[in-house]
Amino acid sequence: MTTPEGEPPLTLKDFSDSFFYGSRSNLDFKFLADLSDTETAAFAYDDVPFSILTTPLAQSRVALVTSSGHFVAGDDPKPFGVEQMTQIEAEARIGEFIRAEPTLSHVPVETPADQLRVRHGGYPIDAALIDHNVTLPLRAMRELQHDGIIGELAADAYSFVGATSQLKLRERVAPLWADQLRAAQVDAVLLVPV
Amino acid sequence: MGHVQRVFEAAGIPTVGIYIAAFAHVPARMGVSRALITDHPMGRPLGAPGDAVRQRDVVAAALELLTGTAGQTIVSFPHPYRTTARPFA
Repeated sequence: MTTPEGEPPLTLKDFSDSFFYGSRSNLDFKFLADLSDTETAAFAYDDVPFSILTTPLAQSRVALVTSSGHFVAGDDPKPFGVEQMTQIEAEARIGEFIRAEPTLSHVPVETPADQLRVRHGGYPIDAALIDHNVTLPLRAMRELQHDGIIGELAADAYSFVGATSQLKLRERVAPLWADQLRAAQVDAVLLVPV
Repeated sequence: MGHVQRVFEAAGIPTVGIYIAAFAHVPARMGVSRALITDHPMGRPLGAPGDAVRQRDVVAAALELLTGTAGQTIVSFPHPYRTTARPFA
């Protein structure tokens, strides 16, 4: 196969290698280097599952779910059984994360900021370390609850590492999370993909 | 997160997702219900650290989409990324 110009098509490896200018400068894409073209195949769907919010937003209980990699101090999800995994190790093992099943961390919405931790090998966490609200917008949600825009912020927010097995997420994990949210009588969910 | 959004919707839970510009193609391709696209960089989907006003505005704009009933809705947040005056931004 060639392009119209006669050049060979850009493979995923070519694409991912093109970001390797330094050990960290390509953080957003470097996990691609460990994956095959098949594993990174774009998921595309023709249908659009859609549910209508049946309660007014100002009376709805809304939960926050983010793929930011946050957790509460003392409740480390310990990926691959590793105690206190560092951000650097998470970056180094991103190829393993992307094949593994994600863990959903519960983050009580009143958790003090100094008790929040974030670790995610697939995006630059520098801003989240300074202000968790850039990827875990608890402050904004609390303000909107206070002002009556939403009825209630669900007692727990939820976070996981979004660089994860998409098939395990779709087939096994996300349906279990949906059950948890229904059990918590959540009316709607704000999602923050990171 | 597109899969989470699809699964939740299929389970009867209305959702809205906040996607950064780098992922702007995802909501339509993956068939997600409601999406707000921000012109924000990777790692700062809600805005710059310390920019509480922008973070709130983005969340409010996204939540407003939850009230829609007309099927897939993908909207762009109309304001460009801004850094705060604080040195870390």
